[in-house]
Amino acid sequence: MLTYILRRIIQTLVVIILLSYVIFTIMALMPGDPVELMISSNPKITPEDVIRLREFYGLDQPAWKRYGNWVSTLAQGDLGYSRTYRVPVTDLLGPRLWNTFVLSMAAMVFSLVVAIPLGIMSALKPGGKLDSFLNFFSFAGISIPSFWLGIMLIIIFAVKLGWFPAGGTQTIGLEGASIWARIFDSTYFLVLPVLSLSIQGIGRFVRFTRSAMMEALRNDFIRTAKAKGLPRSAVLWKHAFRNALIPLITVVALSISSVFSGAILTETVFSYQGVGKLVFDSIIANDFNVAMVSFVISISMVLIMNLVADILYGFADPRISYS
Amino acid sequence: MQNMALALFVTLGLGLHAGAAPSNKELKIGISQEFENMNPLIMTMSATTYMYRMVGRTLVVLDADAKWVPNLAKEIPSLEKGTAKIVEVGGKKKLIANWEILENAKWGDGKPVVCEDFAFTRTVAASPNVSVGEKETFTQVEKIEWDEKTPKKCVFTYEKPKWDFYQLANFFPLPKHIEGPVWEKYGKQKEGYEKNSNYVKSPTNKGLYNGPYLVTSVRLGDHVAFEPNPNFYGEKPKIQKIIVKLISNTGTMEANLRSGTIDMISTLGFALDQALAFDKKVKSEGLPYVTHFVPSITYEHIDLLLDNPILKDLTVRKALMHSINREDLVKALFEGKQSAAQHFVSPKDPWYTTDPKFVTTYRYSKREAQKLFDEAGWKVGADGYRYKDGKKLSLTFMTTAGNKTRELVQTYLQEQWKQVGVEILIKNEPAKVFFGETTRKRKFGSMAMYAWVSSPENNPRSTLHSKSIPSEKNGWSGQNNPGWVNAGVDKAIDALDTEFDAKKRMAYAWEMQKAYTQEVPVIPLYYRSDISVVPTSLKNYRMPGHQFHETTEIEKWTF
Repeated sequence: MLTYILRRIIQTLVVIILLSYVIFTIMALMPGDPVELMISSNPKITPEDVIRLREFYGLDQPAWKRYGNWVSTLAQGDLGYSRTYRVPVTDLLGPRLWNTFVLSMAAMVFSLVVAIPLGIMSALKPGGKLDSFLNFFSFAGISIPSFWLGIMLIIIFAVKLGWFPAGGTQTIGLEGASIWARIFDSTYFLVLPVLSLSIQGIGRFVRFTRSAMMEALRNDFIRTAKAKGLPRSAVLWKHAFRNALIPLITVVALSISSVFSGAILTETVFSYQGVGKLVFDSIIANDFNVAMVSFVISISMVLIMNLVADILYGFADPRISYS
Repeated sequence: MQNMALALFVTLGLGLHAGAAPSNKELKIGISQEFENMNPLIMTMSATTYMYRMVGRTLVVLDADAKWVPNLAKEIPSLEKGTAKIVEVGGKKKLIANWEILENAKWGDGKPVVCEDFAFTRTVAASPNVSVGEKETFTQVEKIEWDEKTPKKCVFTYEKPKWDFYQLANFFPLPKHIEGPVWEKYGKQKEGYEKNSNYVKSPTNKGLYNGPYLVTSVRLGDHVAFEPNPNFYGEKPKIQKIIVKLISNTGTMEANLRSGTIDMISTLGFALDQALAFDKKVKSEGLPYVTHFVPSITYEHIDLLLDNPILKDLTVRKALMHSINREDLVKALFEGKQSAAQHFVSPKDPWYTTDPKFVTTYRYSKREAQKLFDEAGWKVGADGYRYKDGKKLSLTFMTTAGNKTRELVQTYLQEQWKQVGVEILIKNEPAKVFFGETTRKRKFGSMAMYAWVSSPENNPRSTLHSKSIPSEKNGWSGQNNPGWVNAGVDKAIDALDTEFDAKKRMAYAWEMQKAYTQEVPVIPLYYRSDISVVPTSLKNYRMPGHQFHETTEIEKWTF
């Protein structure tokens, strides 16, 4: 097992290095750079300024050399400096990653808590009234565009009822308040974005749980367990659900891998200070340091969560062994 | 997405949740553009400048009436008053100006604003280790001197005797007593100063600011909060707390306004179509807001690539002008809230003229256009399009993809040019590609539509001088994208900077407008309007329509 994990970690590192180089090169091929942004906002910038700034930022060097510089800075523990926002990447990205993590995890946990019982109930009586009802709402949840749902939630709960704020991350000026006051305040701002993100997640997880449970319930060992006279709950949770877990683990693990990638539409609609829009803007503005750090985090999360899922398979199903 | 939001408001007919009415206690302003760290030396984003005007002041400023007025200075030096003079040093002409800083001008921590602050700022900006964008703003001041006994009386020596010296070297000072130690410690490292500046490490330090407000909270990507500066030299601010909130999705800007999350939408908020729709709702629903549309100096136009064999012909360019009805365009698409453009100078500029002695106007006339196309040898073929030597009169028309207003204008003009036999092929690109590659390297084939932002009495060197034609040789710098070469215009541009006689400068500007409208290197379309939405109860709010935002007078705002 240990050898397997070590081998996978080494593979992961190699993939990260290769992918980061590919991404860096692709970004370098994109037209425009931070100096272009300056020119477009200030026509008084002279040709001399343009040449000086390109040299200053190293934009006159080939991509491989710039990549080398970036890696060596990163190796020294310095994530670099944002050319767009003119602050260290750590200062910029840290709070936003945390906000995105809180939003995505809250939405996922809420989705799973609601969806798994509903999916199981749906699988127990396929074709029944409850199943039809849940199927309808699952498909509706999956199909609703998140920006539309976000705007609807704002109109109803912020504009009409005034129950929740239309956007933001926390009340401005609350920085000095107690930890509980800040947690309560952040939760208040999270309600609508979490709801908006969860509706889709619930629909998706209900469908996955239903299908995995139905598959598991069709197995011979379920019939045997029932014939042995095992209680219904034992058949359901110990035998059926445990076997339904493998496909669920894959889906949940892959979903967790995106918790730091950001939900760009939801974050934008709710003016939520997350990482999604920041990454998008940094790519558009060729803000290499911000974009590259975000990419590396996203790639690492996908690879790590895949590894975690593989390890969890072994726990869920003793037949799977890595020795 | 934004249209869907607007449609939902209308179709659902939802009532309005009444937020607390804005008062002098607090004002929340919505912006849709990102902002950066607020170091005035290196900031480049409009939203940052918008906010910095609340906390920082310069020696002079262009007010809402487009007049230069003193801010931190007691008065503007001039040759007439004897407070400025041209001298000759080592055979070179230079300009020396005496600036006196207001006696009660202080930083937020109570320390006086002195000449040393300006000299320090110039030193930092001139350093090769600091990534200042427009270096010339600082380096054109060769030195700043003062007597220790009179630290507020500064003598600026300017490298060249330019008439607009007081506008050009108009930078925000840095507080030496706070930023000096940072500079001493990190100034020798590349980017060392800007990474460790107090504007990054401690942006709420009161001593960093000298304007009517102080920064109390900054969260990049979210908001900046301000409170009055008790040490401000001028009129005391009336509003006790101001929050500038970033709402990057303009589609939800209205929802945020209606729900009370923000109280007003700044000039960096609504797009024109949203503002027009909202203005109708304000009137029909009796909402307590005013939608302001103020003509600005932003000039929307179409660059004609003069290397193109078709567009090289002046007769064709004139025919293209006669083919389009720009007056009708602004009425139909903008409900008259933006005005048709004559040339590159806006009506807000003292240099603007429509005098027929200088400005050639091209009235809408299909007949005149057809006559000119015929004269140029472009005859109508069986398919209704024009041909010359078997080649179709076909032009590529490019702009930024996804910009709804520009795409509407494009379709409108495409139809009008089709009526006179010109085929227009629309080929739009994302702004990043369009500005980063296509216009910069003059790869737009025929026509490129976009806007220029300038300022009153601005020397158009970067856009009209023949030396500003981007090429590989000059590293694709300069913004004369059509590739226009006119010796008279070059001469006027070169002479303009050092001409101290206002009448002569005006004459140069008119000569340039004359050549511009006669030779049509560019098709002028319209001057954009600045837009904002403010509560009806907000008083003393004036939108200037130029690069100095309305926040220049924020201390006067009151409810």
